[in-house]
Amino acid sequence: MKRIIFTFLSFFIALSTVNAQKGINFSHMYAAGGKLLMCVDSSAKNVHYNNIFPNQPNTSFNYLPDVHNLSIQINFRNNINIQHYRYTILVDNKPIVVNKSIDTAQLKNTNAGGDEEVFRSTTLGIFRIQGKIITTLVYSTENPLDIDKSVFYGKPIPRAKIKFFSKLFALDHGFGSLTDLKERTNFSFAKKDKELTIIKDKSDLDYLYYTSIKDKQTNKIIFKSTAWEYGHFVDGNAYLPHISIDKNIFKKSGDYEIIIQPLIRWNISSKEKEKYTTRHTLSITLEERSYTKKELLIYTLIVACSLGLVFLIFLYFTKKRNKQKLAEKEQQKNTAKLQLNSVRSQLNPHFLFNALSGIQNLMNKNEIDNANKYLSKFARLTRNVLDDKELISLSQEKTLLDDYLQMEQLRFGFKYEINRSENLDLANIEIPSMLLQPFVENAVKHGISQKATDGKIMIAFIKQANDLVLTVTDNGNGFDTEKKNTGLGLLLSDSRIQLLNNIYKENRFTLAIQSTTNGTKICLTLTDWL
Amino acid sequence: MKAVLIDDEISNLENLRTLLEKHCPQVTIMATAQNVSDAVGAIEKHQPHLVFLDIQMGEQTGFEVLKLLPKRNFEVIFVTAYDHYGIQAVKFAALDYLLKPIDIEELITAVNKVEYKLTTQIQNLQLDFLLQQLKKPEKDVSTIALPMQNEIRYIPLVEIIRCEADNSYTYFFLANSEKIVVSKSLKEYADLLRPNGFLRTHQSHLVNPKYVKSWLKEDGGILLLTSGQKIPVSKANKETVKQALQRI
Repeated sequence: MKRIIFTFLSFFIALSTVNAQKGINFSHMYAAGGKLLMCVDSSAKNVHYNNIFPNQPNTSFNYLPDVHNLSIQINFRNNINIQHYRYTILVDNKPIVVNKSIDTAQLKNTNAGGDEEVFRSTTLGIFRIQGKIITTLVYSTENPLDIDKSVFYGKPIPRAKIKFFSKLFALDHGFGSLTDLKERTNFSFAKKDKELTIIKDKSDLDYLYYTSIKDKQTNKIIFKSTAWEYGHFVDGNAYLPHISIDKNIFKKSGDYEIIIQPLIRWNISSKEKEKYTTRHTLSITLEERSYTKKELLIYTLIVACSLGLVFLIFLYFTKKRNKQKLAEKEQQKNTAKLQLNSVRSQLNPHFLFNALSGIQNLMNKNEIDNANKYLSKFARLTRNVLDDKELISLSQEKTLLDDYLQMEQLRFGFKYEINRSENLDLANIEIPSMLLQPFVENAVKHGISQKATDGKIMIAFIKQANDLVLTVTDNGNGFDTEKKNTGLGLLLSDSRIQLLNNIYKENRFTLAIQSTTNGTKICLTLTDWL
Repeated sequence: MKAVLIDDEISNLENLRTLLEKHCPQVTIMATAQNVSDAVGAIEKHQPHLVFLDIQMGEQTGFEVLKLLPKRNFEVIFVTAYDHYGIQAVKFAALDYLLKPIDIEELITAVNKVEYKLTTQIQNLQLDFLLQQLKKPEKDVSTIALPMQNEIRYIPLVEIIRCEADNSYTYFFLANSEKIVVSKSLKEYADLLRPNGFLRTHQSHLVNPKYVKSWLKEDGGILLLTSGQKIPVSKANKETVKQALQRI
C-alpha cells in the first residue's frame, strides 16, 4: 500500500537538473513499478506505464511502443537500507547487469512534488528501448524472495493466437476429451459434454491477456477470465496456457464471440485496440441429449404411437360426443314431431262420431245421394287426419276445411266462406297440415253452434308481403281469451304453435286472438313464409 | 211407452226418431229437446217413461238435466258420441248407454230392458247413484251397481273379494261369502275396476288385492286369498301382478 502511494506521489516529481540527454524529457516521470520511475522521449505518445496484472502483484508492465530512449531511476525513502538492495537488468532476456548494488555515491536528494519528504534517488541507466524488451529485477538481500519486476516493452504486443479448442466430456469412468477441434466454428454440446477449453499459444506475456465471451445475440459479455491454466496441453516442451469454460454459461444455442486481448489501461482508440485483439466466433448448439440411431428410432416410434393413440382416443370421444349430440338433436326434433303428430291427430272424436251419426240420419231418411256425398267427405277428412303428412298445400287445406265445415253444417246449419288473396298460389304454398282445423272447430263449437242458421264463419288466406296470414272469424258469442280452458282445440293449438316454432326455427308462428261478444277473430301469422 | 229425446243436434234427433219409429213401435215420442232447459220442461210436462239423453250438449251435459229434476221417476238411455268422463260413472251405475252412430240391435235391446224394468216395477235408484258418483273424482268410486235378475245391488268395492268369469256371466264373490251372478262379461268389470286396484290375474279371474294373503310359488303362480281360495296367475300376467303386489 505504502508503495502504491509512493509511486503515485512520485508521478509528478521534477528533477532539479533538467538534462536534455537523447531527447528524454526528464521533467515528466512515470511510475514504472516498485521503486522505479522512468522518463521517456519528449515526443513519445501512448506511454502505458505501470500496468499490474492479476496473480502478478510484483510485476509492473510498461508498454512503450513509440518510445526510443528510456531513463530508469530508482527512489528510496530515507528509512531504507539502500546498501541491501541489488538490481538486475536484462535486455531481450540477456543479462546486462546482475545483482548489482546501488552506487551510493550517485545518490541525490529529491523531492516528491510539493511533498516535504525527501527521497534518495539515482539513475540505473539510459537505454534504447525501440524494438527491445528491458526487464529489471530489484530486491533487498534482507528479503530476497520479494523481487520487484518491471518490464519495459518497446515492441508491439503480439496478438494472442488460439491454438485449438478442446471439449471435455464425461465417460462412465472419469472424463475424456476431444482435442482435434482446430479451426472449429461450429460447436455442439451434448448432455455428456462438460466444458469447452480454449488453448492459447505460448508466450512470455501470457499474464497480459484476458479472455472474454460475448453472446452475439444480446451483445453482452457472459464470461471473463484473466487466469490461465497450464498442464494438459503441451507444444514441444512448453505447456500451453488454456482456460476451461463450463458448458452451462452457454444458456442457449447461438453465436458466441471469444475475445482475447491484453489487459492494459489503454489510452488509445478502440480501432487501434483491435490490433491487439483476437476474435473468434463460435456457433454453439446445445443438444439436450444425443441418441444413437436405434434409440432415436425407438423413441420416435414410441412418441408417434402414443401421440397416435391420444389422437385416436380424442377422435373417438369427439365422435362419440358428436354422435350423442346429433342423436339428442334428432331425438328432440323427433319428439317435437311426434308430439305434433299426436296433437294433430286429435281431431275431436266427438265430432267424428256425431258426423257419422249425421250420415246415419241421411241414410235413414233415404237421402242416399247426400249420404254418399257426406260419407266421402268424412272419409277424406279422416284420411287427412290419419295421414302423417307434415305439410299440405293451401288448396289441400282448403279442401280439408271445406269437408270439415260441410260435415259440421250437417250438424248445425250455419254459413261459411273461405277467401284468399288473389296473388296467393294455393297449389304450391305448403303449410303444416291440420293447422287451421282446430281454430275452425273452435269457431263452430263455441262460436256459432248455438246460433244455427244465423251463424257465419269466414276463413281467409292472406298474403302480407312475405308473411302468410291465416284468419278464422266467427260471429258467435265469443269467449274469454284469458281463460285457458276454453276448449281442447285452442289449448292444443297453443302447444302446436310452440312445437311448430321448435321445428321451423327460421319461421315464426304467431297467434293472435280477439274475442268480443260479437264474435271471435283468430289470426295466425307465418312470418317470412312466402 | 212415452219417451222424450234430448240431443243438441237436430240430425241426431231426426235419426233417433226415424230408428225408434221403425224398430221400436212401442215407444211413443212425446217431445224432443235441443238444450237443457227445454229438456227439463219437456220431461216435467210429459212425464215420460223413458228419456234418451245425450251426454255432451254443447257447453253443457245431459247430467245437468237430471240434476235439475226433483223427481226422477223415469228410465234413462244415455246416448253419446264419445265421452270419457260421463261414461265411466254411467257404467258404475249399471245404466244403459248407446254409442253414436246408433246400432239398431243395441237400441232394441236397451228399449226392451227398459220395458222389462217398467213391468217389474224395480225402484229406480240408479240415477241417484249416478249423480252421487259424478260428484266424486273418478278414482274415489267406492261402490258399484250390479244388475241382477230382479234387482240392482249396490256393492261397496271393499266387499268384493274376487270375480270369476263364466262365459258372458261374471260371478262376484263377496266378503260375506255371498256369490252374485251378473250377466255381463268379466272383461267389462275388469276395465271398470282396474283403476280401483283390482288385479286381472288370469283370463277368468279378477282379484281385489286387499284380500291377497300370499303368493304361492311352488306351482308357478298361485295367489292364496284370505278366504283360503287359491287363484291362478297366468304367465302373461305374472309380472304385472307381482309389481302391483309389491307396491301394496
